[in-house]
Amino acid sequence: MKAAFEQRWDLLRLLTHKEFALKYKRTTLGIFWSLLNPVLQAAVFFVAFRIFMRFQIENYTFFLLAALFPWSWFSSSVIISGRSLVDNVTLIKKVVFPRHLLVAAVILAQLAHFLFSVPILAAFALGGGKGVGWNWLIGVPILVVLQLVFTFGIALVISISNTYFRDIEYLVGVLMNLVFWMTPIIYPMSAVPERFRPLLYLNPLTSLMTAWRELFFSNAILWKEIGIAAAMAVLCLAAGLAVFHKMERRLDEVL
Amino acid sequence: MSRVIEVRGAVKRFPAVKNPPGFKEWVLKLPRIWRERGRETFTALDSVSFSVERGECLGIIGKNGAGKSTLLSLLLGTSRPSEGGIEVGAKRTPLLELGAGFHPDLTGRENVILNAVLLGLTRKEALARAPEIIAYSEIEPFIDMPVRTYSNGMYLRLAFSVAVHTDPELLLIDEVLAVGDESFQKKSEGTLTSLIRSGVTTVFVSHDLEAVRKICSRALWLDRGRIRLEGDPSRVIEAYRLGAG
Repeated sequence: MKAAFEQRWDLLRLLTHKEFALKYKRTTLGIFWSLLNPVLQAAVFFVAFRIFMRFQIENYTFFLLAALFPWSWFSSSVIISGRSLVDNVTLIKKVVFPRHLLVAAVILAQLAHFLFSVPILAAFALGGGKGVGWNWLIGVPILVVLQLVFTFGIALVISISNTYFRDIEYLVGVLMNLVFWMTPIIYPMSAVPERFRPLLYLNPLTSLMTAWRELFFSNAILWKEIGIAAAMAVLCLAAGLAVFHKMERRLDEVL
Repeated sequence: MSRVIEVRGAVKRFPAVKNPPGFKEWVLKLPRIWRERGRETFTALDSVSFSVERGECLGIIGKNGAGKSTLLSLLLGTSRPSEGGIEVGAKRTPLLELGAGFHPDLTGRENVILNAVLLGLTRKEALARAPEIIAYSEIEPFIDMPVRTYSNGMYLRLAFSVAVHTDPELLLIDEVLAVGDESFQKKSEGTLTSLIRSGVTTVFVSHDLEAVRKICSRALWLDRGRIRLEGDPSRVIEAYRLGAG
């Protein structure tokens, strides 16, 4: 029993490592890209919003990145894992192992990329923000776990549906764009007309992204948002697992 | 003797249209699909029942499309029966498509570890066994190069080596008895034969009737998804030759 658990854990570790390592396998800078990518992204926004487009929000670049980096973790996880089953046909057809590990590995590998962007946010917080406090040490792990659970639930449904209908991955690309604009990432909640705000809270990402932003930008932990996000995450995971296991039974017939 | 495999009335149907409908067609034709669901199917296996005892080697013969590989994938667990039950009480080691879990951009060594874990070892066990696996495959000098640079033979040798070094309890073999050049073929066939002789339960699907006669203790003839005959290999092969010829 213990050995079986250890074996699964090792498999998840190796699949995650594979997912992560393969990305840069044939590049010169290698893993350094994981840091360079968000740094360059931050630099572009910094220039854009300092010089070309000035918003009324103080320190807008930091405000934006504090929610944009966690969002990127979510969206890239969902988009990439949408193909994780379809792309591993031979593995799925010829080897027996828990298939949901393929999906989990993608999200964990993307988490590693996200963690590389946290130091950049810390740099912003120290130079002109509210600083880095104990709240970060408590908040980051909590929110990472919540988003992990939430994303896993969503990704399970999308990846397994995509094996039945290959249209799903294209649909997801478009929907992701819609969800992005319906989540307070590039704008604050206060910019939304009062009567639409409850509507925005129906989007499970609203509370999650707001909690991330307030943590990084204001060095505050929003327990109410965290509570809502946790409930949503658990619901998504339960639904995701149920759908996945039901549809997985006929996986060999559709792949 | 204990039973390792128990198959009771297994039926496997595939949707007759192999190309799954896109989302649009699915929505448009939903009423029709709903009405006709379960009708347009192809039955690959039809109420197949048999069992395999520990230490037995069961050979499965039959023409192309008789359902041999479908049966093997049911035993492996990568596919599930539409009806009936299958119980397998041992760790399954597939020798189907060698190197199915290999990734071209990972090195030989990385692939060895990943595949050993995929086949049921823990990482610690895999690391401990890696030197043995690599030595057996005889491709030591290239082991830290990505496998995309390997020749086909090297690739197969490494994959074969991983599979036979993961303490198989139940071997599921589809044609693969020997891989690589002549000397490695001898070695790999010898390894498999001695694994089978040492009491590893085996299900061996093959068109090589002589190999079945040589290594199997029992044979099963599949014909269009049904068991036509089961029993002593020589007798089944004889009947198959007469019937198929």
